[in-house]
Amino acid sequence: MKIRRTTHPDALVSILKQALSPDRVRNDAAERSLFSNDASIFKGGASGPVCFPVSTAEVQAITRIALDHGRAIVPRGAGTGLSGGAIPLGEPIVVSTMKMNKILEVDLVHRIAWVEPGVVNLDLTKTLMPLGFHFAPDPSSQQSCTIGGNVANNSGGPHCLAYGVTSQHVVALDVVLPNGELVHLGGLDAEPEGYDLRGAYVGGEGTLGIATRIAVRLTPNPQAVQTLLLAFNSVEDAANTVSAVIASGIVPAAMEVMDQLITQAVENYVNAGYPTDAAAVLLAEVDGLSSGVAINAERIAAIGREHGAVSVRVASNDEERARLWKGRKTAFGAVAQIAPAYYLHDTVVPRSQLAGVLRRVYEIGAEYHLTIVNVFHAGDGNLHPLILFDPRENGVLERVHAAASDIVEVSLSVGGVLSGEHGIGIEKRDHMELMFSFDDLDHQRRLRSAFDPLCRSNPGKVLPSPHSCADIQSLSRIPEGVWG
Amino acid sequence: MTLNLDPDELASCVQCGLCLPHCPTFRVSGDESMSPRGRIALMRSVEDGAPITEEVKRSFETCVQCRGCETACPSGVKFGHLMEKTREALAKAHEITPSWQRFALGALDHPGLLSAGSKALAVAQRVKIVPKRLGVPRIPLRSPAMESSAGSVAGDVYLFTGCVMDVWQRDVHRDVQYVLERAGFGVIPTTNASCCGALHTHAGLGDRSRKMARHVIETLDGAIPILVDSAGCGAAMKEYGSLLGTDEAKAFGSRVFDVAEWLVANPGTLEAPGVLDLRVAVQDPCHLRHVQRVHLATRDLLRPFVRELVELDDEGLCCGAGGSYSALEPELAGQIRDRKVAAIDRANPDVVASANPGCSMHLQAAGVKSVHPLSLLAQALRG
Repeated sequence: MKIRRTTHPDALVSILKQALSPDRVRNDAAERSLFSNDASIFKGGASGPVCFPVSTAEVQAITRIALDHGRAIVPRGAGTGLSGGAIPLGEPIVVSTMKMNKILEVDLVHRIAWVEPGVVNLDLTKTLMPLGFHFAPDPSSQQSCTIGGNVANNSGGPHCLAYGVTSQHVVALDVVLPNGELVHLGGLDAEPEGYDLRGAYVGGEGTLGIATRIAVRLTPNPQAVQTLLLAFNSVEDAANTVSAVIASGIVPAAMEVMDQLITQAVENYVNAGYPTDAAAVLLAEVDGLSSGVAINAERIAAIGREHGAVSVRVASNDEERARLWKGRKTAFGAVAQIAPAYYLHDTVVPRSQLAGVLRRVYEIGAEYHLTIVNVFHAGDGNLHPLILFDPRENGVLERVHAAASDIVEVSLSVGGVLSGEHGIGIEKRDHMELMFSFDDLDHQRRLRSAFDPLCRSNPGKVLPSPHSCADIQSLSRIPEGVWG
Repeated sequence: MTLNLDPDELASCVQCGLCLPHCPTFRVSGDESMSPRGRIALMRSVEDGAPITEEVKRSFETCVQCRGCETACPSGVKFGHLMEKTREALAKAHEITPSWQRFALGALDHPGLLSAGSKALAVAQRVKIVPKRLGVPRIPLRSPAMESSAGSVAGDVYLFTGCVMDVWQRDVHRDVQYVLERAGFGVIPTTNASCCGALHTHAGLGDRSRKMARHVIETLDGAIPILVDSAGCGAAMKEYGSLLGTDEAKAFGSRVFDVAEWLVANPGTLEAPGVLDLRVAVQDPCHLRHVQRVHLATRDLLRPFVRELVELDDEGLCCGAGGSYSALEPELAGQIRDRKVAAIDRANPDVVASANPGCSMHLQAAGVKSVHPLSLLAQALRG
């Protein structure tokens, strides 16, 4: 294959404009600067032309043009990712899926819906609710993030404790491979033939091509729901309560813990009646048939009291529930009330180790003179320590990154993993070697090569340097300036 | 150039993106440069020395200033204030708000000019040369002046009559006066207070809007509560404190109430012969919901007097009217309105209640039957 690498940017832009339409290809400096960032703290991305396709055929056309002109492509949804997965490195073509935002078909017989990748997660659930269903993965950013982004990151969310993460809710996909070819992965049958390439694709973070149609599973709405808010005098008591609830055999729909500082910030925004004097709060939800729900709610309250809960409140109606959840789901955004920037980790530790790891996380904060707040999916042991800082302070980033590395090491040392749900992206790329052996990573590289042999799709992400694509050595190191 | 933005205010955005779905221009474009997060990023880059290009101006000019992002923002970013300061800096440098716009806005605080222009428009309407899609209500050729109530049981209140609304929609003011009188209040229409200056603030003409705010404050001196039936004007007047930064302006702001907000807190004696046999959808004007944050009062006020109240399912997303926005950005305003009309269609009401004349006109131009909630209430009280 002949690859032209010297096409003038203007020529590339005009070819893209011909393939799409002039108003859906943007190349001005302001626009490109905006598409060089996502919701993470990583700077130093550099976007090439930004395309807004409206169809699978247009995505194929962009992909072929990119290949022909020696440019990589980076897919992007709402840009709410926290690990830098959508940050373009080396001026690739950015493919925004935001104009591919139609719910194509709701098929109640198969209990699936075909959607385009730019459909907003909460919009899908709102459309399904009156039909008695919802889309179960509910990341905290669900009001903004897209299904395509959820697929790319295999996103989780509070309710994934009971319902499983995105991969369990995607049954089939149409994927434009990095060579422009369209493939159909998975299927509506319970046991699709052949290898489960659908399973391999979900969580690929844009390195395996771009999904342009996604069949998602519909989850029936529970008959009854109860939400409890337990307050504790220590984060450890809350963590131990979570372990005890799971050990008792209950499968709650969600178990979320927030510490005092973050609870205060959240309460200031939502006024949901969160106890701001408690060292930690546990938000627990049980759902299912009404009789079972009431029993489980009482059992959780009792277990909480045994482990030091100083108060237990049960939400009395849907509005109160919604308000409590709004608080939990806007927690990351609310931290700006405390400090203007945060660096967030996403490690997962065995539930039995939660209390000890949390204690270490706070100690690490003290060692580096940094405020660390914790809000996390306690039921899964998925920690989200937020390291707060003011980027205007000289030398603060070195301390932030040193503290973050220590947190990762502590998590891995007790048998944890790097990422629960936010993906690897740029953020955890170079931590992969702490987690995986050379052979592990080599096999991941081979899987990636099977989808994208020329390494055109979201290069420089996920796999660390010796394992990333040979032909883009310029990206094998994180570019200068990415860390702020 | 510098935008003179407060660095701390600018730093309060952490780019989380939770504002995105609540921004009408992002909703219809999917384009980061038309989102609050993108606009803040561009403000930062201008402050860091980036040039004011056409694209940068476009990003700022397409903002409706609905402030839906503010209620969505868990960090409490004061986006409206940042955008007003940005526009003021750009307008001072004559980068935005061309002179024809400045001239047109000038008419609003010159009652004579406004009256003459409106008379011409009224005549033009009679000879049918004003397109219906502009959504301009039928302007009366002459309308008797409003007069103060004869007396009061529950105390006196000012009714702020404003500029365009006083000329184009005086009927709404009359309905409001009628309802307030029925509730026992003596109403003093503010015929000489002129324009609140909201549109001037939005256009970046800060010097003029501050002058107009000072005029309004001087004219409506004293302790009498000031009631406003236009959500946009009410929001601007409640914010005079931050606009002028004086104690006097802050005290003035605390005397300003939306009419529905006032009546829910001071119900007086409102009794109707029966309920209106209507299914009413409440459309929240953005500056009532996201700035004044008293939109629930509209519902509380109407509920006893109509058969059925229904909510729209779009969480208060803007309708695209935005003061003069629908005239300046007709294409975007139309796309934004299409979403609102679809939400209204899903709710399937007999009539839409909107407490802002601009929203009402914008919706009417798309064929939506929209009336002021106080007009509905007056209708119920009259029986």
